[in-house]
Amino acid sequence: MKIGLINGSPKLRSSASRCILQYLQPLLEQDGHVAAAFALHNPELAPEDAQGIRECDVLIFALPLYVDGLPSHMVSCLLHLEKSLARSGKAPTVYAIVNCGFYEGHQAKWALNMMENWCRRTGLRWGYGIGLGAGGVLLSVQSVPLGAGPTRNLAQALRQLASSVSQGVGGENVFTTMNFPKLLYKLAAEIGWCRSARANGLKIRDLSLRRGS
Amino acid sequence: MTCKAVERVEVMRLVIHDLEPGHIDRLFPEQPLNLLVISPDAPIHHCVGCFGCWVKTPGACVIRDRYGDLGELLAKSQDVLIISRCCYGGFSPFVKNVLDRSISYIHPFFVNKNGEMHHRRRYSNHARLTVWFYGNVTEQEANTARGLVEANAVNLWWEAAEVEFYPSPKEMEAGCYEDRAN
Repeated sequence: MKIGLINGSPKLRSSASRCILQYLQPLLEQDGHVAAAFALHNPELAPEDAQGIRECDVLIFALPLYVDGLPSHMVSCLLHLEKSLARSGKAPTVYAIVNCGFYEGHQAKWALNMMENWCRRTGLRWGYGIGLGAGGVLLSVQSVPLGAGPTRNLAQALRQLASSVSQGVGGENVFTTMNFPKLLYKLAAEIGWCRSARANGLKIRDLSLRRGS
Repeated sequence: MTCKAVERVEVMRLVIHDLEPGHIDRLFPEQPLNLLVISPDAPIHHCVGCFGCWVKTPGACVIRDRYGDLGELLAKSQDVLIISRCCYGGFSPFVKNVLDRSISYIHPFFVNKNGEMHHRRRYSNHARLTVWFYGNVTEQEANTARGLVEANAVNLWWEAAEVEFYPSPKEMEAGCYEDRAN
């Protein structure tokens, strides 16, 4: 089958969504599938991307959670794709992986529901979604082999997804978290923000700046 | 973006919407000084996930279009009304863009709240969030939308006051905001 791997992060270079798809692609290819990568970084959907997506049998989206939902540029892209796919007469099965900066993967629930609702509107078959918590860890562990250390839960979810794709089955949404202690995740995030602030010439207290007061 | 006396008014009623000008004028025939309306009347760049609003220019978006100070405007609000076309149970691209570009309102650090991880508050105002969705909305989309607004209220440290659905913007005009709010 031809499987469209759709990166829905607005980030042009490295992103957690890209990292997830890089882990997933070999799992699909070892089952004999052909993967086609698409990067939807902007609200405008390029005609060649729309055409390529229309040709896929399965679509797998990976995107970040933004304010409890889909990033705004992805809402625009889904509106374009709704029309584009409806015209094609094809009905690929859709899976989605939403990664959260928060620790709990279940905070991606509403974004996954939106993806399911998009499938219904567009006449596509919804497979299921994965809500991945502690997604902030991904970029720092992307050289770790899938299944090792902090990627154990992710590996389990992605292997199950690859198997579901091959069997053409759907299921209930899966909510999981990177294998990283919650307290350490919170601490690492705070150290990261402080480092970034200092690198930008700010003091740590500037992170708490209140505008207009 | 209509911006009336933002400097002088301490507590605002904020409206974020994606309506055509005619609709918003009929909904708000008289706009008091403390009413701020954020409209899709200027080009808006989408959030690129750079977190510059937390670590470069804390409290303000680094993209300096006309929507770069939304976090500060949220901080001055006590009533927030969102009017949006319902897209798959979420907000329309413009309204979602405004929300995505507003994350400077909260602090990058995490706290635990009801056993979940959320962002710490940057400001101390408590706003009441009302959302009016319009469009042809399925029951499943309406359920998603209600859950989404509840989740937004938790993450913004606000109170989710009301979520309503209208077939089209015209039906909203049957009762103006002043009548509903009082």
